Amino acid sequence: MINLKNVLNKNFLGAFVFLILLSSCSSMNVTEESVYDGGIQTVEASVKGNTSVNYEAKAILANATVYFEFDSFKLSSKSIQTLRSAVTAMKENSTIKITISGHADERGTREYNLALGQRRADAVRDYLAVNGIGKSRVSVKSYGEERLIAEGSDELSHSKNRRAEIN
Amino acid sequence: MKIFLSLLFFTQVIFSELVLEITKGSEDPYSIALIEFSGSKKITNEINSIINTDLMRTGEFKIFRESQLLSTPTNEEDIKFEDFKLLGIDFIIIGSLTNEDKFNVSASYQVFNVQKETKIRTSKVFGIPNKLRQLAHYISDGIYEEITGLKGVASTKLLYVTENMNDDKTIFNLVVADSDGSNEQILLKSSEPIISPSWSPDSKKVAYVSFETGMAKVFIQTIATGKRKMVLENSSQISSPSWSPNGKFLSLTLYQDGNAEIYILDLKNQNLTRLTNHYAIDTESSWSPNGSKIMFTSGRSGSPQLYEINLRKFSSKPKRITFEGNYNAKGSYLSSGEGIVFVHRVENNFQIALKYKNESFIRPLTNSKLDESPSISPNGNVIIYAITENGMSMLSGVTLSGAKFRLPARTGEVREPSWSGFLR
Repeated sequence: MINLKNVLNKNFLGAFVFLILLSSCSSMNVTEESVYDGGIQTVEASVKGNTSVNYEAKAILANATVYFEFDSFKLSSKSIQTLRSAVTAMKENSTIKITISGHADERGTREYNLALGQRRADAVRDYLAVNGIGKSRVSVKSYGEERLIAEGSDELSHSKNRRAEIN
Repeated sequence: MKIFLSLLFFTQVIFSELVLEITKGSEDPYSIALIEFSGSKKITNEINSIINTDLMRTGEFKIFRESQLLSTPTNEEDIKFEDFKLLGIDFIIIGSLTNEDKFNVSASYQVFNVQKETKIRTSKVFGIPNKLRQLAHYISDGIYEEITGLKGVASTKLLYVTENMNDDKTIFNLVVADSDGSNEQILLKSSEPIISPSWSPDSKKVAYVSFETGMAKVFIQTIATGKRKMVLENSSQISSPSWSPNGKFLSLTLYQDGNAEIYILDLKNQNLTRLTNHYAIDTESSWSPNGSKIMFTSGRSGSPQLYEINLRKFSSKPKRITFEGNYNAKGSYLSSGEGIVFVHRVENNFQIALKYKNESFIRPLTNSKLDESPSISPNGNVIIYAITENGMSMLSGVTLSGAKFRLPARTGEVREPSWSGFLR
């Protein structure tokens, strides 16, 4: 027992001396380097002219918009009322084509909101489809939280931003 | 006119200065004596102030400047270690700048350990006169790595999106800047939104989402040449690009199945592998440091939560990894693999939070109302994110030890930051 203790102590001491030696003849870091800073090329996106705006549809549907709850894509009864008149208008004008764009409020992450906006636009498209408006007349897209219409951070602004626009 | 000019200069100075709001630095910071570099005043003033703010921003140092010191040696022979021991200083940094010729500047610096009374580093950095900021960042990183043992990130870059009004038109820019927010350069200018920018692992390319075609599409752009191409051409929207650590794959959110699903794209042969299959939203994928796992946000539990898929196990099921609260999204892995950083909702506030693997609780890192888009520095020690204040978004940083800083205020919105890899 005592022997073992001595051995341990000796080893410990050995390690200690070794450490001191290591640090006293210690490796000083010597470095030499050159600054690299690469070049950058600026490009401009050629944005497609907004040819998809259908002014006839815009006039007939009078910018129909439906609104949603936070993190939800369920159509409210008020939304369904709005959509009923959209269905009627589209049946009376059987040639018009529409685009549904889904949007979210500023809260939450941008990519999740992009996906949420898509679900909102899809919910509107599905309602129209069930009510006889073929998917060939409807295209959908999402802007997530990238096109807010109310800039405030209060609940009223948020509720205006959680929407799907038909035009 | 003169008054106007000086006023202009004054505001310029205010706006270009980094706002350091160190609410809580490291609990046990290193005390360092940062002696001003000697050399031509024209360049030393700028270099000295950049090194000082670079080191302050890390939150790891208590910096003593000349007025707080008992002696200010400019070379090794003049150092009286006693003067520094008395003040409790751990390290001394001295250095000098030399104009080698018209086109070359060099910096030499040395780091001394006060307790051991020894020189622990001697370094030389060669630079050019119009890249003095980057020269200073190299010096800061050398000092930081010598003292902390961790690679510095002062010489790395940030990628982010700005939004400005110009003659009633909204202009979105994808911008690259130094890690302190200076030296902004535009990669892409567009009249339509840009989101989700991210660097390739070698920091030579960027991937991002642009709405320029009328819907969200992913593009890859080479930084040096401006050459860009759309990733996958199909009729539905594509979003949320994330590079695999080896740079060979891009994980993406595709909407071709009528719902947001995550796919992996092989960049060499354009093969697509579907990763998720659920009627709820699946998006915001990110790779673990060794590329063996993908984390993503999913609405499958009824609210956004983070899930993880093991890529090494055949047909492995996504495993839920966040349980606290009803909104946990946009996760990314710490480079050590020891934890994750994500957006966490607390009541009506969205904040940046950290969760270590071996802990069951979430550590909040920020405390304002709408913090988003966290991106982790390549050394894993700092998180840059976007905050919204008075309706304007800007960039802020927080270190894992809790030190906070803010990037320079500017006009317009600044958001969606992404931190490059090491460039030095």
